[in-house]
Amino acid sequence: MTWGAVLWVFTAGLVTALATGLGAIPFAFLQELSPRTLAISNAIASGLMLGASVGLVSEGAAYGTAPTVVGGALGVGFIVLGGRLLEGREVHFGKVHGAGAKKILLILAVMTLHSFSEGVAVGVSFGGGQALAALITLAIAVHNIPEGLAISAVLRPRGSSLTACAGWSIFSSLPQPLMAVPAFVFVEAFQPVLPYGLGFAAGAMVFMVFFELLPEAYENGGATTVGLWVSLPLAAMILFQRLL
Amino acid sequence: MPARAMIASEPVLNVLIYSTLAAALAALGGLPFALGGAPRPAWIGGASALAAGLMLGAGYLLMERGLDLGTWAAVAGGGVGVLYTLAARFFTGLHDPHPAENPSPEDGSDRDPTSLVLLQHGLHAAAEGVAIGVAMTLNLRLGVFVALALAAHNVGEALALSDLLVSRGASAGRATGLAVAINLPQPVLALAAFALGPVLAGFLPASLGFAAGALAFLVLTELVPEAYAQTGKGAVALMVSSTAGTVILLESFFLG
Repeated sequence: MTWGAVLWVFTAGLVTALATGLGAIPFAFLQELSPRTLAISNAIASGLMLGASVGLVSEGAAYGTAPTVVGGALGVGFIVLGGRLLEGREVHFGKVHGAGAKKILLILAVMTLHSFSEGVAVGVSFGGGQALAALITLAIAVHNIPEGLAISAVLRPRGSSLTACAGWSIFSSLPQPLMAVPAFVFVEAFQPVLPYGLGFAAGAMVFMVFFELLPEAYENGGATTVGLWVSLPLAAMILFQRLL
Repeated sequence: MPARAMIASEPVLNVLIYSTLAAALAALGGLPFALGGAPRPAWIGGASALAAGLMLGAGYLLMERGLDLGTWAAVAGGGVGVLYTLAARFFTGLHDPHPAENPSPEDGSDRDPTSLVLLQHGLHAAAEGVAIGVAMTLNLRLGVFVALALAAHNVGEALALSDLLVSRGASAGRATGLAVAINLPQPVLALAAFALGPVLAGFLPASLGFAAGALAFLVLTELVPEAYAQTGKGAVALMVSSTAGTVILLESFFLG
């Protein structure tokens, strides 16, 4: 174990975090913020998050089924509890107030926490052999872009600036380099925790989709529109994770 | 898993038994009305959410195996499955969020809205039959699971349909009969898809994709919005995430 290797892992993690910011780019072209835009944005975020969760559950199951289930239940509990805590409180997020701000806070919490697990996954896989390191870094970086897209899809229609979208997207991925390093150095200690983390992230994301994002999408857009805009990114995510 | 006694030695018999069972179980959805009561909306919504979770899980399994066998064929098949369900929505003019509650054709034609709902369900049942048939082609376990997931869907659908028909003056018996009858395309198409399996072996990835796309799109455009309309979003979220999650965790069990 050299310091050079540790620095490599950290830099790799940092690059992947910065890639998340690229997900904000498509929202530069978003002009009007109609209810239909909100429905489509919610649907896109839902499809991306559902696709990501499928990957997380499969990977978690490879490490251990029971810990993935426990992690998933904790993830659901986290969203329920988070929602309760925010209920009845006056929440601000920049210029955004009320229910929109609560949704933004929840998705940022979910995506940031999920990056902890991803960081551990990166570190553990780096420990497996450095020949693949560059490839893994590239894969994770590309994989982070849709996550930035999901975050921006929630932030932008509620009035956040483009810079805020990119900034918070990158922020949500910062735990990746921070967790990748210890996970790389102490692979044996981190590996057993990994399925819990992966399950947690998946549970929190799926629950967030069906509890917060989809009901609002159906309220603001027709079922056909929402269905199409969920299934397209969902299929793309599943395909993407396979080909990467 | 079903008891040994419920597995026939002839594979095609299994297809017949389980697809017919799935269709026949729709009668359970008419039962509450036959007993003189109407189920609470929360029950109908819960049934939809349960079916949604199981069907999303089934769609995932079918798509996974389809992608294994031929990535782009499965993707193309998935697109056709989505388009098929979409066409069924527009063809029957029932592309508003809650067709069962507001069964009025949007094109202003004077076609009977109830028969349009029935037609749409029949078109869905055809795609669902294909799903059972191709799942059975892969292995018995997956086939039985897909049939049971669709049975859950049929029961929820029959609950909603009987609710609609009875509110429009039909007797409970007639409603139940119709709810079962619209699922008849299921065993027919299941048998056809299974029987054609060896002939069209090259089409397996595409037909797996088709089944997955049709199921997922049906869930997103019908079951989930209906579940939200009938019961709380917390219950829907909990039901869908726990059932779909369980199926995905059992992937190696079903796909072997």
